[in-house]
Amino acid sequence: MREKCTMRINVSAVSIEENRIDSFRRGNTLINTFRVQEEGILGIHFQQGEISDEEGYARARQNLALNRPYPFTLETGVRSRDMTERVLTNRQLMEYTEEALEYVHSEFPEFTLNGGFAQSILYFGQENDRGLDYSSRDCTTEFRLSFKHKESRELHDGWFSIGQRDFDMQKFRAMADNYLTAFGLSRDFPKEILVQMRYYDLLSLLAGSLNAESICLGTSLLSGRLGEKLFAEHFSLAHDVSDAECWNTPFFDGEGVVQKGDRLLYIENGVVLRGYADKRIARKYGVEHTGSACSACADLPYNGNVNLRIKCSDKTVRELLNGSLSVVPIRYGGGGFNEKGEWVMPVQLGYLCDGERLLGRLPEFTLVSNLFDMFGEDFIGVGCDNPVFHDKSILVRMRLGKSRG
Amino acid sequence: MFHFPKNLFTDVRIETNDYVNYCTVNGEVECNNHSQTVSILIRVFDGNMWYTCSINERNRIQEEIDNLADLAQRNEKIYLHPAIINFGSHRARILNCEGETDLRKVTPGQREELVARYISSCVDQSIEELRSYGGNYYSTHRIKEYYSSKGAEIVQDMQRCSVWVGSAFEVEGVTTWGGKNIQEATFDRLRGREQEITEALGRYLDYARNAEDIEPGDYVCVLAPAATALFTHESFGHKSESDYMLNDRALREEWVLGKKVGNEKVSICDDGSLRHNGYTPYDDEGNQARETWLIREGVLTGRLHDSKSAWSLGEEVTGNSRADGEGVPMVRMTNTYMAAGGDAPQEILRSVQDGLYIYSINYGMGSSTFTMQPDLCYRIRDGRICQPIRVNVITGNVFQTLFDIDAVGDDLEIFDNFSCSKGGQTVQVSAGGPTIRVRRLTVN
Repeated sequence: MREKCTMRINVSAVSIEENRIDSFRRGNTLINTFRVQEEGILGIHFQQGEISDEEGYARARQNLALNRPYPFTLETGVRSRDMTERVLTNRQLMEYTEEALEYVHSEFPEFTLNGGFAQSILYFGQENDRGLDYSSRDCTTEFRLSFKHKESRELHDGWFSIGQRDFDMQKFRAMADNYLTAFGLSRDFPKEILVQMRYYDLLSLLAGSLNAESICLGTSLLSGRLGEKLFAEHFSLAHDVSDAECWNTPFFDGEGVVQKGDRLLYIENGVVLRGYADKRIARKYGVEHTGSACSACADLPYNGNVNLRIKCSDKTVRELLNGSLSVVPIRYGGGGFNEKGEWVMPVQLGYLCDGERLLGRLPEFTLVSNLFDMFGEDFIGVGCDNPVFHDKSILVRMRLGKSRG
Repeated sequence: MFHFPKNLFTDVRIETNDYVNYCTVNGEVECNNHSQTVSILIRVFDGNMWYTCSINERNRIQEEIDNLADLAQRNEKIYLHPAIINFGSHRARILNCEGETDLRKVTPGQREELVARYISSCVDQSIEELRSYGGNYYSTHRIKEYYSSKGAEIVQDMQRCSVWVGSAFEVEGVTTWGGKNIQEATFDRLRGREQEITEALGRYLDYARNAEDIEPGDYVCVLAPAATALFTHESFGHKSESDYMLNDRALREEWVLGKKVGNEKVSICDDGSLRHNGYTPYDDEGNQARETWLIREGVLTGRLHDSKSAWSLGEEVTGNSRADGEGVPMVRMTNTYMAAGGDAPQEILRSVQDGLYIYSINYGMGSSTFTMQPDLCYRIRDGRICQPIRVNVITGNVFQTLFDIDAVGDDLEIFDNFSCSKGGQTVQVSAGGPTIRVRRLTVN
């Protein structure tokens, strides 16, 4: 049996350095992975750039000599998905950058700006001798700016970025206004620290802990606890590639497996339902196969392809705050989770916020929480709207740790 | 080799990489691959803008040069542009990795045998708390070519190989992962390192069994050489990359050469000519590596440059313009280390009544406030290293901490298992330092 996975990336980007357009860049990358399966063994060939299928498969056949077991039936299915809404020309990309830069520079001349505007077109394809023919295409833009006040002694003070499929200059302007207007205002901490942020950084340990192999080996914080209610009643977590908020991600995994409805729950109403497993892990440990294979370019598929998203509340972030103010970390790093699940994060730039509008800058601080608290008793929710980040915000109650003395 | 368009500056960088990755988990082969990649960056500069293109097919280079030239404005004075004047025009061929030690000649059998031997001799599978173990061999061989319309023609190679052996120990529901990674330039140097690996795994087992949680606060900290290395890189090294301050008056005022920025025991150097992990005989603008003292005896004496920053700040290029794969070059560190001092490491420890010994660090980040996430830490009481301590993050202010370093050991070590990320690109670097004592760092 033969199978081919294709990834094509086309990037166009305008770069901004110290308030001026510095460069224009194009990038075109083509990657093909050829797989040949014979008698339960898989041979793989990874190829950058153009190559004929005949030659690619011939090289994959040579790779059978490494004797990599893969005793699984290849998938079938035909489907194509294109999330593209609009493709900008290079000229449009440049003009939008000029317009955005001119706006920010004229409204906020006290800031030095670096960053840029980029458009990425990603294509993923997978096909095999059994008739599998899947393709996924997306086109997204990201305008990302780091800012530094001209009197600041920092290398940079903060940043913001807006990701869109159909670039809207008004939304960019609103975001710039929000971040840069509030920078000049100093505020104090609210009585209660309700952290509002994008949730991807907070999910890292939970994502690792849901690995079915780790659960089975006893190395996960969730080992031996499947079926238990470990998190908040209103906390549900799913692999979800079903809708418009699925960004540059194909609907199929590295083994050509598709979930019903393009989603699968891992935690429902606080109860851990399952760990994620590709075909190999599912067979090895006798656990549920969840279609979670990553497509390794030059090797066998491996476990770990989950696009985890927290179930949204039916309330906006502001409604969830119910009159309280939130704390929004912008520039942070260097901390994270330890092996016990405790989370500490020093924040160099954070804002006070009413859920939508940034109200002013807070002094440097350190956030402290714990995996089981942040998604348990301290989990307030994920708003149904996209304020501040043009993306989903989580609200979590946290404590302040010891700050730099 | 290429037809460069007139009245424009053009350069082409081609990286040909050869990667091998072999790993086992609990005795089962998890990955076993060998791949080659080609990354090409083409740039055209007209004195106002850079037009760049990244591709991975050599036969398209000339076509893309011509396409980019069509976007640019011809400029008869392009070679008088100060930034272009600073670009190198060397011709050199530095191929140190050919011959018997070429990592591309290591056979699948050799790498499998290496990993299997370390697993069998260093991992004690009778340990009750052992839940998982694994080994990994990784190698990369890179040939980097650089051609420019100023006449530069440089071909240089580098290679690194590494072996990692690690274990997961579970005690009362908490799993501690730890291992030893050894990185070298040649395969033979990966052999015979059983003692280092066994000692490292023993430390993690001790940590899993005995680590106590830290009480957050400010502590006197003694940093072991590996921790000093990362501190040096994160806390000060990034501040010395001068592409951050091109036209920034505030930063220029802050970082005036000759200013006292630290204790007189502190000296920090970057040197791309050293045969360590950041070895960069020629940078990605064709300039030669050199030794650059950033701090000497507590005084700011230099900074790192590419062609543009050197022009902008009126200083000399330092050979620190580096890029990864298809990335655009930026000012980057190479081999950066805090120089050895005159204090004996044992005396530094003995001088601390109550403090922390930072043995190793997972990762760090640096700006005015630097942060480091420790890997292994120990309590110091009455001048002796005591029980392991679980610390999540250490923070400090760069400016204050450089003054708070009041003892610098004579045990400088340079570590080759570092890589550095900036602007979405990761480059290989080394970092080094001796044992140091810092009067106060904030610990959570």
